[in-house]
Amino acid sequence: MGEPKHKRHTDTSKWFALQYRYAPYLFVAPFVILFAAFGCWPIIKSLILSLHTTNGPKDVVFSGLSNFRFLLADPDFHKAVGNTAEYAFWSVFLQLPLSLGLAILLSQKWLRGREFLRLAFFSPHLLGTVFVGVLFSVIFIPQYGLLNKVLHAVAGVPLDTKWLANPSLVMPALVLTALWMYVGFNMIYFLAALQAVDRELYDAAQVDGANGWQTFLAVTMPGIKPVAIFVLVMSTIGSFQLFELPYTMLGNGPGPDKAGLTVVMYLYQSGFVTGDLGYASAIGWTLALGVLVISLIQMKLTGAWKGSA
Amino acid sequence: MRQFPYGKAALCILFAAITAGLWLAAHPVKNKTATLTFWIFAKNHYDACKAAAASFEELHPGVKVDVQLVAGQAVTHRLQAAFWSDLDVPDLVETEISAAGTFFRGPLEHVGFVDLTDRIHKEGLWDGMVQARFAPYTSRGRIFGLPNDIHPVMLAYRRDIFEQEGIDVSKIRTWDDFIRIGRKLTIPGKRYMIELSDSNQWSFEVCLFQRGGGYFDSEGRCIIDNEIAVQTMCWYVPLVVGPNRIGNSLGTSQGSGQMLTRALEDGYILCLICPDWRTKQIEMDVPRVSGKMALMPLPAVTPGGPRTSTFGGTMIGITKHCKNQDLAWEFAKHLYLDSRGLAQMFRMTNTVPALRKAWNQPAFAEPREYWSGQKIGLLYAALAPEVPAQYTSPVIVTAKSKLGEALVECIQRYKEHGDAGFEEFARASLRDSAEQVRAMIRRNPY
Repeated sequence: MGEPKHKRHTDTSKWFALQYRYAPYLFVAPFVILFAAFGCWPIIKSLILSLHTTNGPKDVVFSGLSNFRFLLADPDFHKAVGNTAEYAFWSVFLQLPLSLGLAILLSQKWLRGREFLRLAFFSPHLLGTVFVGVLFSVIFIPQYGLLNKVLHAVAGVPLDTKWLANPSLVMPALVLTALWMYVGFNMIYFLAALQAVDRELYDAAQVDGANGWQTFLAVTMPGIKPVAIFVLVMSTIGSFQLFELPYTMLGNGPGPDKAGLTVVMYLYQSGFVTGDLGYASAIGWTLALGVLVISLIQMKLTGAWKGSA
Repeated sequence: MRQFPYGKAALCILFAAITAGLWLAAHPVKNKTATLTFWIFAKNHYDACKAAAASFEELHPGVKVDVQLVAGQAVTHRLQAAFWSDLDVPDLVETEISAAGTFFRGPLEHVGFVDLTDRIHKEGLWDGMVQARFAPYTSRGRIFGLPNDIHPVMLAYRRDIFEQEGIDVSKIRTWDDFIRIGRKLTIPGKRYMIELSDSNQWSFEVCLFQRGGGYFDSEGRCIIDNEIAVQTMCWYVPLVVGPNRIGNSLGTSQGSGQMLTRALEDGYILCLICPDWRTKQIEMDVPRVSGKMALMPLPAVTPGGPRTSTFGGTMIGITKHCKNQDLAWEFAKHLYLDSRGLAQMFRMTNTVPALRKAWNQPAFAEPREYWSGQKIGLLYAALAPEVPAQYTSPVIVTAKSKLGEALVECIQRYKEHGDAGFEEFARASLRDSAEQVRAMIRRNPY
């Protein structure tokens, strides 16, 4: 004779209720624990470190806001901010319009082989940034590099043009490389957005007699606006985090006259080369606040909040 | 599903997570079995060190030395992180000269390397090795590393082209002689007498050391704006820019790989600043000019002056985490002080060791076909005692970078204005760079 049926049923219900109550916590626990250990704690620790002069994490002397004061007067930091802002400017005003233009072109039904072209333009992003950096550092070499050979043949540009050794040419070289890598990537976002625009709106615009440009402004742009804002904000944030590309292209350093020094590269150098973790933390916090402010301004100017409301 | 309220998929994930966790718990990371762990960054040292480790193990039964090759850039940062976290710190490590100073930040008792000063003096190594080579590994009078090398600098040149042009290198005694010939041989855009950088401080640094200048004095004070540096700048810049230039760069730093290969093969560059280690690099990167290359001492600044400088270097250090520091010291000596082993290492790397008595080994007197039959070991060893000392500081990386910035500024200025007011500009530019280094030094409260 076994247990009574109603008793077994009660036990199962209790077990079920117990699981129902605690299982969600069990599932989120790994993330919460890892995020607390490797996300929250380092953030708090870096804030504490930014108020100290350090020699690694062991020798720590409280110095208040001296790291931030030094940073405001530090010409290297100013240079890094200037370079990063310049790169971000070109990312937004050159890269994104090109991505959008390419997306519009590759969404035209009359274009033959557009699937192949989409893949071709996207494919540079499949390569790692470090690989691209090494590849372009070879393409840019003077005298024997592919770019100089082509430019020399086409436009008579001197063969010994030093793209990566001339301070005024370093940023164009970085922007050019980033264009090659990211235009196709951002194009994918715009392609997806373009496909989601209601076809009937285009038909209506045609019936109303709108020309191509008017259709673009009145139908396409509003239709892709949420995605465009997302790409704009993410590109800006990504630009301010620039590190691997200049680091690999410029021989593991900031390049001539620090023309390729970015804020993250300066943070890395201060923390892991000079060993001044306090100063590196101050740079990190300043960068984070700067990016936050710029992103908020962008979202305000583009009306992102209105759209979401 | 009655028994699990979130469905089969969630149950599977939970099961996979628990299984994976249990497996990891059942297979903990094995404790290291090696008696000594040794990090090394130079690929061409690796094979020689493996061989030395094997012979050391034979001499010390039961001892196992684990030689680990860590990429050049990574070794510094990994070591820094290891010191900071007290995790996975090797017992011994080879450190590159320009990074060594960064480990000497903070109070002496917190430097991650063992102070070797007493051992070095007690065992007579201070006199047995080239003393100038201890300078880069010394902080506040204490020595934290044993120097592997000296890296005297010579000029590597295309002997065949020089002979075709009727140049007798034995008559090149001073830089004035060299520049005079260089102006005859240089054809702008097609051929340059020497590889000199216009965007990076490395070749300027070699010239600065030859003149007795440097980044820091023996007390750790920044000296990149002293009169020697100013005069070196005024001499150097017209060599790489302007109508009388004789030099050009090969990339962002010293030429290597494809660029070096093509430039030497084509005769685009005729001479290279060449520390001993670079001869091996040239042999490997440009095999087709074998027998067409030769070496000559650096021209002197003034007649009778030093005919060499220095570029690069490596030390071996014992970390304070090492549990058997005496054994580690024995291994360091086996590696750096065994004359036969050093001779073997010279054959593999072309690097002249800091230990003077090793230079008598036959390997150093072997003629090298690549270098037109020259006995390059003897040539470099003859210059080794003249190698200048280079003092360091925890902000050495910043100092190098600032000197590079001053160089680029001066080159831009010279391009636009030539000689007019150049010396004043160079002086101000170097002073500005030095002040920034001094500001960094003042930030260090230790």
